[in-house]
Amino acid sequence: MNYSGNILTKKRLNLEVREPLGLLAKTIILLVSVLFGLSISIFILILSGVNASDLWNEFIIYIFTSQKNLSAVLVQAVPLIIVGLSAAVAFRAKFWNIGIEGQMIFGAIAATFIATNDVGPESMRLTLMFLAAAAGGIGWIILPAIIKIRLDVNEIISTLLMNYIAFNFLLHLLYGSWRDPLTGFPNSQQYDTFENLPLIGWQSLNFSIVIALFLSAVIFWLFVFSRFGYMLRVLHSNANMAQSLGIRVGILIFLATIISGALAGICGFAVSAGIESRMTQSFFVGYGFSGILIAFLARENPIGILIVSLLFSILVIGGQSLQVFYQIPFAMVQLIQAIIVMCVAGSEFFIRYRISILKR
Amino acid sequence: MDFLVFWLSNVPSFAAPFALGVLGMIICERSGVLNLGAEGFVLVGAMSGAGVLISLGDYPLSAIIIAGASASVLGLLFGFLVVLLRVNQVIAGLIMVFLAQGLTSLISRNMGWVNKPFSGLGRLDFGFLTDIPFLGPVIFGQDIIVYITILLYIFSFYFIYRTNIGLQLRAVGENPDAVDAAGGNVILLRFMAILIGAFFLGVAGGYLTVVVAKIWVDGISGGRGWIIIALVIFARWQLWRSIVGAVLFGCIEALIPRLAAVGVQLPQYFILMLPYLVTLFVMIWSNLKGNNKQDTPLALGRPYLREERH
Amino acid sequence: MPKITHQSHLIEMEKITKSFGDFLAIDQVSFNLTHGEIHALLGENGAGKSSLMNVLAGIYAQDEGQIKLNGNTVDITGPAMAKSLGIGMVHQHYKLVSNFSALDNIALTVPHGAYQSGIRDLRKIIISKMSEIGFDLDIDKQVGKLSVAEQQRVEILKVLLGGAKIIVLDEPTAVLTDEESKGFFKTIKLLAESGAAVILVTHKLKEAMNYADRITVMRGGQIIDTITPEDLSEEQLISLIVGEIIIDEPNLSKDIGDRKISLQNLQTTSHDGSIALKNISLNIRRGEIYGIAGVGGNGQAELASALMGLSKLETGAILLNGHGDISSMRPDQRRNCGLVYIPADRQKYALAGQLSLTENYAISGLLRHEFGSWFKVNSFKAFEKASKAFKEYDIMGVRNLNQKAASLSGGNAQKLVISREFSSNPSFIIAHSPSRGLDLRATAAVRAKLCMARDNGAAVLLISEDLDEILLLSDTIGVINGGSIVAEFEAPTARHDIGKAMVN
Repeated sequence: MNYSGNILTKKRLNLEVREPLGLLAKTIILLVSVLFGLSISIFILILSGVNASDLWNEFIIYIFTSQKNLSAVLVQAVPLIIVGLSAAVAFRAKFWNIGIEGQMIFGAIAATFIATNDVGPESMRLTLMFLAAAAGGIGWIILPAIIKIRLDVNEIISTLLMNYIAFNFLLHLLYGSWRDPLTGFPNSQQYDTFENLPLIGWQSLNFSIVIALFLSAVIFWLFVFSRFGYMLRVLHSNANMAQSLGIRVGILIFLATIISGALAGICGFAVSAGIESRMTQSFFVGYGFSGILIAFLARENPIGILIVSLLFSILVIGGQSLQVFYQIPFAMVQLIQAIIVMCVAGSEFFIRYRISILKR
Repeated sequence: MDFLVFWLSNVPSFAAPFALGVLGMIICERSGVLNLGAEGFVLVGAMSGAGVLISLGDYPLSAIIIAGASASVLGLLFGFLVVLLRVNQVIAGLIMVFLAQGLTSLISRNMGWVNKPFSGLGRLDFGFLTDIPFLGPVIFGQDIIVYITILLYIFSFYFIYRTNIGLQLRAVGENPDAVDAAGGNVILLRFMAILIGAFFLGVAGGYLTVVVAKIWVDGISGGRGWIIIALVIFARWQLWRSIVGAVLFGCIEALIPRLAAVGVQLPQYFILMLPYLVTLFVMIWSNLKGNNKQDTPLALGRPYLREERH
Repeated sequence: MPKITHQSHLIEMEKITKSFGDFLAIDQVSFNLTHGEIHALLGENGAGKSSLMNVLAGIYAQDEGQIKLNGNTVDITGPAMAKSLGIGMVHQHYKLVSNFSALDNIALTVPHGAYQSGIRDLRKIIISKMSEIGFDLDIDKQVGKLSVAEQQRVEILKVLLGGAKIIVLDEPTAVLTDEESKGFFKTIKLLAESGAAVILVTHKLKEAMNYADRITVMRGGQIIDTITPEDLSEEQLISLIVGEIIIDEPNLSKDIGDRKISLQNLQTTSHDGSIALKNISLNIRRGEIYGIAGVGGNGQAELASALMGLSKLETGAILLNGHGDISSMRPDQRRNCGLVYIPADRQKYALAGQLSLTENYAISGLLRHEFGSWFKVNSFKAFEKASKAFKEYDIMGVRNLNQKAASLSGGNAQKLVISREFSSNPSFIIAHSPSRGLDLRATAAVRAKLCMARDNGAAVLLISEDLDEILLLSDTIGVINGGSIVAEFEAPTARHDIGKAMVN
């Protein structure tokens, strides 16, 4: 090659990992991406015929001015909070628990068993159902946990497969021996009154919100103050270092997945005994993914989970009224959730990498 | 005997969407891109296929092609997220599912496609061949897509294992550094794999509406996308094994209505569970035996970044 | 052997400079290559040899300087461009697809038309090339199942069939046996005779002397000299490589106690082509710093990993006074016996960048149950202890202890690691390249801490590729080469003798 005089300059696009950004910068990027996602969503809604000012009414005024709607938001937020916590605990241990729905199912199955078979004295019934639900959830995550830790079997697939097995087992029960003898419909018998989570006196809010808040506090404490949480943080930040320092990584992951399974099982109980008052064949639908998306947006922070769950719940309740007044299908809510999460996920690119142009 | 014929002649119809879907997934994942959004691509294909038939007229084959194409459009978005923005592939896949569920529900409602039956695509009749007792209906009485699927598998085998692009595709899923050093374009290869994979998943979805159900409702894919994901693992990313898996699932799915029609009272849900139990068992077994890492494309799930400093 | 004439060289690199951030890797280096020669680029690790060759191969872009090919200035914009110019590099870490055959791996990089038809012709070309250069290979076998030497041959074939006339080999014999090395050099000679020019990046003196036409010695990012093997004796060459720097008086222990650790015949197997420990046997006493000198890649990392319990031993015993054989203990159990580890790669093994400084410091204390209970971590106590430690170790760049560990600069991050590891008053310290990448001040501080620990009665195993550091701190020096301890010296020792054991 022969160049007379200067060397030809060529530009090359270079992608490299950047120095970690400060909290302020990351928060700004997060907020910008959420706003971006919301804008796209609003745009789509307007395209579908929704009046822009009505949007403000529906989502904000309507919900916060009507006690009935406010309580509906809170009631819907409860299972979202619990599955969010479940996903978060697993994520902290780098375990993708896609099997939340399966664990919910077995939690509800265990609780329903206690209810329909009248196990234990009436005063203890709910407590027993609660404990059974937790055990059910644990039982359904334990196999994927063990085969992941010992055999390195991909937990995404194994927990997913367990979902399908659980779902079919549920149908087997509901269309079979557990079918409601009174109505003949494929759901369980209705629970006795004392087997339902009691209302706490304001609108339709039931005791499950107390459970959800209690669990949030427990998980918060676990993450922030306990030794377990500290070790989890180290594992999450640098797994090699955790091992080198002598942290028993296998046991840590096992405990985290157990807690995650228990939470999912409890959620199954909360929905069945709190909202439905029986075990139905679709009570769990959608909660698995919602939980994962919530945990992702909240970066597994329990306080963040409370906030994001509330927001998701507002979207759901608002979406229900959009359905009534504008014939917007409920799927719009899913779409909006997906768009916002997509924008946030995409924005991570700008947090993690820096594009520079190299001149040679 | 009749039972057997009825059952087996329905198997290909149930197996075809699985076969098509797994083919697409294998191509995509062989390039190193983990695609958990399969359910979403199938849904998009299903809706588009139905939409064409309802709004444009009786063009079943075009409907299926458009089904594939529209899933590819979603695939572009997916590729943008995971290949360019290096978003975590698990989250991106889940986002695709959610996005597709929302979009298909919305669009189908707006366009009035919901719950409108159409004639779709029927089975072929090869005349005397189809009339051969027993084998006739099973081998010669299928719709054209089934036969095309078989052809597609043959072409794909050739494409993946006997062309340069196929070589690069497989290399990118094992060691993208090597491809980059050899002058190949990792980004382009992965995009191509994602688009082809999405296309086949869309065709699988289109098949569900155009050929099997002949109607569209929300969520008609019924979780088959997830089964396809499990099937890829079951098939260990190999073409012939995926046909086995697809046929296996097809047999089981085709069995249920047959059993009910004959009045047999078997624990139907346990039969439905079988495929998942089998897949789980296979996964555990193969990891126990220690050959777990061998079949998984080495670079699966990891975004590629060429750094200046090694 | 070609004479050095004044006609244009095949390659001329003039005044090449390259920095990575603050680190000056190559400093005004000029290097040339003539047709048909075997040119050894000799020096220790970190001398800049690989970086220089990466510039030639288009992987790095130089900051200053220019490259000429046959007298014409060229701008090497990337690996593809280098390849088109006829420059081919065989890296230390092979870029092979392990479940492809050798044939397919070569097909990936060498154009051959359409696959189905072209592969048959490619096969013939490969076979004829192999007989031309005198080696043998089953090109249909999965590359992952080939031996490391065979994998290297695949890489060489890739480069040759890609049309390379200039072949750069980066530490090619590092993972080969003696027999395999002989075979390798036979090939190289044939290559040179057929008209290619070969650059051999190596630290192995004897190989350079036996096989190279010219030798260029690099040290500290600079060219020291370019000579022919006849010009100098082996001893003189060693001096060029390791330098004649007079360092400070070594800081020797004043009080060496009885035996603390005994490593007996440690062996490991390697699964990925990295070096295996063949026979490590040594003893370390209380109040002693045992320095392991050696060129990087001879088993240092494997030894550290095996001692900490992060990798398995094939055979051998690690006897720790008062605890017996600890070789089957988990890392946490070994730490309970008083072991601590300052790893070479602190980003990977010793720092959690996303966690706070306090958390990074206190984690080991936490595992010793020093900060509160399972239920509640006593973060106040942890904070106090961390503050004290940070002052004691003079860790700078700290606005407050809650900032992320990733915000600390190299030297201060290392001090953090050391302060944490020493917080348990360990009796056995494994320090691997403790001052790598640190500035003078930080280096001095780190070394002072090691000596302090030693003076307090700890046994220290210091693994370092920096010979100055070894000489400065060690009471006893063992040289690791090819996975074994090949020589042992008591301080004070001549630099020269150590260097000799390192490069042979």
